[in-house]
Amino acid sequence: MSNSDQFPVEIEQPHHKGNGSGNIFSRVFDELTAFCRSRSMFILHYCTGCGAIELPPAMTSRFDMERLGVSPMVSPRQADILLITGYVSVKTLKRVLLTYEQMGSPKYVIGICSCTVNGGMYWQSYATAKKLNDYMPVDLYIAGCMPRPEAVITGLRELMEKIRKGEANGWQDYYRRYDYYLGHQQRLFGETWQTPTNVVGEARHYGLLGDETQGVHTELLKRHQKPLEALEMRLSPADKAEMEL
Amino acid sequence: MHWAELLFELTVMPLVAFLVGLFMVLMMRKIGARLQRRVGPPLMQPLYDIVKLYGKRTQTSHGLLHEIGIVMAVGGYVAAETLLPVPGMNGIAEKGGMITLLYLTMIPSLGMALGVGQCANPNGSIGISRALTAMLAYDIPFVIVIAGVAMHFGTTNLVDVITQQQAGGFETWGISQMPLLALAGLFALQGMLGKQPFEIYVAPAEIATGPMVEMGGKFLGGLFVMQCFQLYTASVLYVTLFLGGGENWITFLAKAFAVLVIPISVAFLFPRYRTEDMITMLWKWPVVLGLLGLVFVGS
Repeated sequence: MSNSDQFPVEIEQPHHKGNGSGNIFSRVFDELTAFCRSRSMFILHYCTGCGAIELPPAMTSRFDMERLGVSPMVSPRQADILLITGYVSVKTLKRVLLTYEQMGSPKYVIGICSCTVNGGMYWQSYATAKKLNDYMPVDLYIAGCMPRPEAVITGLRELMEKIRKGEANGWQDYYRRYDYYLGHQQRLFGETWQTPTNVVGEARHYGLLGDETQGVHTELLKRHQKPLEALEMRLSPADKAEMEL
Repeated sequence: MHWAELLFELTVMPLVAFLVGLFMVLMMRKIGARLQRRVGPPLMQPLYDIVKLYGKRTQTSHGLLHEIGIVMAVGGYVAAETLLPVPGMNGIAEKGGMITLLYLTMIPSLGMALGVGQCANPNGSIGISRALTAMLAYDIPFVIVIAGVAMHFGTTNLVDVITQQQAGGFETWGISQMPLLALAGLFALQGMLGKQPFEIYVAPAEIATGPMVEMGGKFLGGLFVMQCFQLYTASVLYVTLFLGGGENWITFLAKAFAVLVIPISVAFLFPRYRTEDMITMLWKWPVVLGLLGLVFVGS
């Protein structure tokens, strides 16, 4: 279930745990927060494929995820976990990335179904992103076509355990190795790809600038990046013409 | 009253309200789970949620008003708690009275409107316009109920209201003296809590939780805290007006939780009305009931 056995993906471990290794009070506080994080997980399910059908039984009376503290949320700002339930087409992946970058850290990604692991039955498709962890850090894969609700619950419990121990640090990996992920994104979407989020700036804010945060791909991004502008408030051209008459 | 004693009460009353409110949120989620034949969340779940939200690393703020709005939303209720007498503590209830309390319970909605306005999210704006419309809908019957109770007891002082009700046992309780107003009050309570069928402004599947759509981290945490206060304020106000307040903490808490079971059970059995249907319903039945109740109180 964990991705480290099957794929040579190096998720960098934090150099120091928490921010107050010396102070006993801050360590207690860190542990309390980690415990609460593990017991309260708001999921945003991005139901891209058939795996979505396994979530209703996992949520409702048969398996009841709420007893683990897992509850569904509807907006990326409120959520902790991005649940991707199936194949991700190239077009969908853009939306998934936009959603992921808007979520508040610490955030976790779960890939459900074989399609997120290696493309699954869409291996030969020209329009499907094969390995999800090329484009964003995935904390946990739940393999299967499709995994049964028991497997989904087991996976969530495993993630809970990882969060409690402070090992689910995929979100930090996205900042530390942004250049790597951006490279894969550019390979798929073309070199003009950009998102509204300033990931390098955020990495600097959290103190998570790594050796691979900036590189050739972020240079390419800088060259093509257009500054974001607020949408202009105006009537449609037809209305404007009517008003001028 | 000595100032230190007053300061103690003003500090403890909101804290107690928050603590009781946490259990009310738990009860709400448990009842929902049991009605759907689930197990439901563990005992400390509301607390886990709040600690987790305040412990988020990313706190996306949309500006100063966004933050002030949340402070107003929580602060309005904190102020309201000091005006609600609980067994053994009156706080500043004798100086406040029902009408001040009525005003204070509106502040959270207005604070949210301010905060959400700065998020500039269309779902949030729709949500807040619906929330203010809902306030307009439930405030008419609510004001009628408050007026009726004040007329019956001849005072707007909540401490006096409780003393008069406790004088003669169940016979002198508001609910046996003014059953029509109590029924209208239940309708208003449902609207005040924003529960189905009047859950027009949260509507997760329709407008992505409306006012909460841009709230993450401590902002959502603040709203979770607000929810605790909201449940507490609404049920304790009903207990104070109609069920004779609390003789001691045991009966007080039992009454407060029992009152809340009604709107929550109704909520999980009903779908959501549309905005105009909610207004039509709340301006028709509870208002008619309330006005009839007023006639009986006046005669």
